[in-house]
Formats: sequence, C-alpha cells, structure tokens
Amino acid sequence: MEELLKINRRNFLKTGGMAAAAVALNLNAFDAIAAGDLVKLTILHTNDVHSRIEPFPMDGSKHQGLGGTARRSALINAIREKEKNVLLFDAGDIFQGTPYFNKYGGELEIKLMSEMKYDAATMGNHDFDNGLEGFYKQLPHANFPILCSNYDFSNTILNKSTLPYQVFKKQGIKIGVFGIGIKLKGLVGDRNYGETQFLDPIETANKTANLLKNDLKCDLVICLSHLGYRYDSNRDSDQVLARNTRNIDLIIGGHTHTFMDQPEDIQNLDGKITTINQVGFAGINLGRLDYYFERYKGKRIKTAAPYTISDQLDS
Amino acid sequence: MIMLYIQPLRKYLALTAIPFFLISCGSNYKLVKSNRTEYKMNGERAVDSTLIKTYLPYKIKMEQEMNTVIGHSEVLMTKNDKVPENLLRNFFSDALFHEVLKYDPGVDFAMPSTNGGLRVDIPKGEVKMSNIFEVMPFENEMMVFTLGPSDVQNLLNFIARTGGQPVAGLRMKIVNDRPTEVMINGKPYDPTRNYKILTSDYVAEGGDNVQSFKKPIERKILGIRMRDALITYIKENQAAGKTINPKLDGRITKD
Repeated sequence: MEELLKINRRNFLKTGGMAAAAVALNLNAFDAIAAGDLVKLTILHTNDVHSRIEPFPMDGSKHQGLGGTARRSALINAIREKEKNVLLFDAGDIFQGTPYFNKYGGELEIKLMSEMKYDAATMGNHDFDNGLEGFYKQLPHANFPILCSNYDFSNTILNKSTLPYQVFKKQGIKIGVFGIGIKLKGLVGDRNYGETQFLDPIETANKTANLLKNDLKCDLVICLSHLGYRYDSNRDSDQVLARNTRNIDLIIGGHTHTFMDQPEDIQNLDGKITTINQVGFAGINLGRLDYYFERYKGKRIKTAAPYTISDQLDS
Repeated sequence: MIMLYIQPLRKYLALTAIPFFLISCGSNYKLVKSNRTEYKMNGERAVDSTLIKTYLPYKIKMEQEMNTVIGHSEVLMTKNDKVPENLLRNFFSDALFHEVLKYDPGVDFAMPSTNGGLRVDIPKGEVKMSNIFEVMPFENEMMVFTLGPSDVQNLLNFIARTGGQPVAGLRMKIVNDRPTEVMINGKPYDPTRNYKILTSDYVAEGGDNVQSFKKPIERKILGIRMRDALITYIKENQAAGKTINPKLDGRITKD
C-alpha cells in the first residue's frame, strides 16, 4: 500500500497538470496570489480534545506539559494574521476527559472554541456523555455549526440543532463541509442517544459529498469524521470511507486518537485523492493543510488533473 | 393533492434552471497543490492571555470543588499490587458493588477494575474530591455482564493467575495460581451456571488482557461512570454520619 501511494504521488507529479503545477510551484507564487490567479486556503484542525483546557500536568505522564487552549489560540491568531483564508474545524469528542467537563458539562469547552472562532465541528461519541439534553444545553455557547449528516435527530431534542453540511466561501472558493459520526449502539449508553437514528456512514457520505461537489459546485469537499482512522476488522473507518466514496477531498478524522506521521492519501472510487488526517488527541497538535487553487480562464477542463502534494509548507 | 400543483411547477423550474446554470456554471478554480504540516503545542509556544481570562474563573471554582471534603476514612488505603487483597481494592469493589445493586439487584459479584485501574492511595482522614479523581482518573463506566460457565471460569482463573484483583461478592483461595474454594455471594461457586458480574467497559473490552467478557450472554450498559458511583457512595456515607472503614476479610488468600 505504501509503495502504491508513493508511485501514485510520483504520477501525480508527472502528469498532474504541469502548467498548473508550474504556477503553484513557482517561486513567484506570491505574485500569482497577489494577482488573484492563485488562491490559498488554509485548513486548521483538531480532534478528540476531550476537555483538555490546560496542558497535561507535569506528572511524568507521557504527554506531560503538552496541549492547552491558550497556546492553540495564540497560534491560530498568528496564522490568521498571516493568511487570508483560514478555516478551523474539529472532528468531535470535544467533551470528557478532565474535571472541567464533569463540573461544567462542556460549557467551557464550547465557549473557548467559539472564542477561537472554530468554523464547524462534528459530534463524537463522548459528546453524548451527558445525553442529548447535555449537548443541547451547551449549544447556546457555540457560535459555529455542529455538522452531522448521518445522525437523524428528528425525534430528539437536537432536532434542527445540527446541520448535515455547511458551505463556506473564501475569496471565490467554495468549501463544502459535512460531518460523519460513528455507530452509537454499544458505544454510547442507550439512554444517552435516545431516538437518534444512525444512518449508514459510507452511503450518507457519498450522497452528501455528491451534493456538495456536483450540485452545489464546491471546489473542495471536507468530511469531519468521527469513525476512527482504521481497524483490523472491516468496521467503518476513515480508510474504508476514503476508498468507497467519491468527491471527498479531505477527511479530518478522530476517535482513534491516532498520531499520524503525515496525512494519508488514498485513491477513492474515482481514482482521485482523498486525504485523511488526524492529529492525536487532547489538543496536543494542531493540523494544517494549505490548498492552492488556480483560477482558470475560459473553459473548464473536463478531466480534473491530480494536484501536487508536499508535507512541508511553502516558506 | 399538493403534488398536482407541484408537478407543473417543477417543469417550469427545470426550464428556468438551465440558463441560470449556464451563467453560474460552478467553479472557476482548480486545485493544484496541497501542503501540510502539524504544530506541536509545547511549552515554547506563546499563550493567548485573553483565553486564559475566559477560563480562569472556571479553573478557580473547579479547584475549590476538587478541594471539597466529601468523606472521611479511618485508614490509609495503599495501592499495593503485590498482595492478594488490600484495603484500596476492597473499598473500591465494595462501594461499586453496593452502588450497582441499586440498578440491578441480581448482580452476583464484582470485578469493577483491575489492579492497574486503581491509580493512587486514598489517604486516612479527609477524603477530598481530588482524591477520587486521582484514584480513578479514567472515564470508565459500570457494565453488567451475564457470562456463561466457561467465561466465568476464565475470569476466576485470571484473578487467581494474576495473584488477586479488586473483587466484591467473591472469595477464593489461590493455590498454585489456580482458584479454589470459590464462594460467590455467600454460596459455593457452581461451575455449571451463568453469573451476573459488574465490571467496567475498559475491562470488558479486554483491558489488562482480561478475555472473559468478549462473548457475553447479556451485556448491560448502565450509563454511570465508576467515579461518579464512587463519589455517590462516599457522600452517602458522609451524609449518614458514617466514616469509611474498609477491612481485610480474607476474600482472596494465596498459598
């Protein structure tokens, strides 16, 4: 699999719209950005922050001294100052893990996310820990949407409190974002999710991504997923999701608390790239993906060329 | 009835949609490049003091609560994993066994955690909220499992092989790492019947290599965290004017 990906990447480089790549890789990319021919979009993300408001205590544990919302906020502010088009997402499990949650029920977590100007989040299984009512109670503190496309909350208190997807516009670029949640039965106490209907994640993701890419004409489609990165069994995971769908460019994952050396690029059903990224847990890391879009004049190219990928930012 | 009106309307909409579609014609942008990186949130990073101002009042209030005395213990309960039985384990198991019976009176015995799950000592004297968070920092929940004869035997073997675990409602003598003279809920162990057991989601999922809960006859999620149950138990004792006073009662002995 590793080898295949490497080969594919090389092919992308070889065949991937050489003109476009040339523009994008040009040292004068700044000029192109200034002229509006190249638009840069910066995606920042977290997952499984688990009420980690402050860094881990210095108690000799594995992650001691790491994380903390105050650091994350300062970094996000610095990036926003530098970059024009920034979107900030979270892939769920905002709740549970420190006494802050036990005492305040998630109010502080959501308040701080609002203060950091998160653009959207999805729900993880632990966000059900105080029941649907417990989550509902904290929604007034959120100034960002909660995206869930495969939880049908119609018969619950959360009816109309979440959205299946949201389309963001940044400098002419349309970014479609939707949320996919994990199967709740057996993972979450029955009472805590009540009458929530769980819809098949792969099927729902395909439908939603198709709507976003083809009907709503989004330039980039992002899935905030709490399925988990991968499993030994063939349970639904981000890898399964990536391989069995079309139209998703990026899966921002969670649940498995996976620290990835770099994002994984998978060929989806259309043979195109679906990238998966997950950044551990507890806000130890902040993930970042910059996407560059080239404006084309005249006719739209029918066969979309692959794009170049680098695990390094342009300086 | 309404459909009759919508049908012609749909056609109309479809017709007008065509020129609109041609004009708006989706995107004029093509994705050409993606760069990625990750930032580690370590001590070298600047902090946003505005954010700290937001959480500071919460922090102060929470720390006050953590310092609240919720009960009193007559003895120091030491975490010592090298003995078949200790006060910390007995207290913890008895408390949760007592709590689970409120929800399911049919539970036969409890192994609510492994030794590894109990993290620190509980001091003699004042028991603070923080003590309970430290002894049980995990977010594990109480689960009730009905196990068949072979899985019950497997669990008893595990307890004996590992030299004793936190249990309540169960007595055994470990001889050559095997369970003998097993009593469950005051009655001799019957190797032919099913038993109802309190444990945690962590243990049930194979934590600390416990393999006994993988094929249960019945599995019940109570939706109650172990720590919350423990706090309830301590507070109830305190309210009743009782101190916590666990004893070694020889529930597990080793040859």
